Amino acid sequence: MFKLQSTKNSGANSWVMQRISGIALVVLMIGHYILMHYHPDSGHTYDAVLGRMQYSWYRIIDLTFLSLGMYHGLNGIWGVFRDYQMKPWLKISVISALVIFGIAFTVWGYSIIFSIPYLKS
Amino acid sequence: MADEYKGIKTFDQKEWVKENLSYKKDSGSWAWIFHRVTGLALIGYLFLHVYSLSTLTSGRTAFETKMQSFLSPPLLALEWFLFIIVLFHSLNGVRIVLVDWADGAKYHKTLYRFSWIIGIILFLLMGYIMFSHEILKFFGK
Repeated sequence: MFKLQSTKNSGANSWVMQRISGIALVVLMIGHYILMHYHPDSGHTYDAVLGRMQYSWYRIIDLTFLSLGMYHGLNGIWGVFRDYQMKPWLKISVISALVIFGIAFTVWGYSIIFSIPYLKS
Repeated sequence: MADEYKGIKTFDQKEWVKENLSYKKDSGSWAWIFHRVTGLALIGYLFLHVYSLSTLTSGRTAFETKMQSFLSPPLLALEWFLFIIVLFHSLNGVRIVLVDWADGAKYHKTLYRFSWIIGIILFLLMGYIMFSHEILKFFGK
């Protein structure tokens, strides 16, 4: 009835990672909200975005925010699924769908950030 | 499978909504439910967010036309309500980390109440920041 599982697949790593990424996301989210909503222009004009994106460190923060958000969110969805009994084929399908959607949207997001030009270099 | 355990109530997955609703709920149970619902909403929003910013690749006019459509009062209000979801998930997330890593099981109900108080204050503050231009205009400043 019960199969012994190796600690590698116990979910302990994803549990720790969910907390670490969560803490990081709270910090990043505070910055994101202050930046985007302190003034209506800063979140909604092309010039503001262009201005921010001139700094590579800002791009790195944005990419980190996106990657962590995707990881935390998809890991969270998987956590919801894990609360229910699943047939092996369903498990594989769910994981595949999450990974494919996650990678597709992360790559899309990356490509959007990289498409914004550096004005002078 | 679980029928082998005699005398232990088994969980019928087909009636999970009914089953879940039948349990007595304390603050922790509500926190668990809200955390789950808000989490699913947030990952849905993240997908939407990537999509809605994709006009950045088509240059200034395309982006600003799209952004102007988000600045209408109903959508601005929706954005404000999104902050409720973000706030709950963040504050409850901090609570979960404290429960797991800082002996928070001893004071998790207090934390739950505090996170609502802090959340409501931050929600109102964000409302003022987001609508400050409209509010100041209303008072003729």
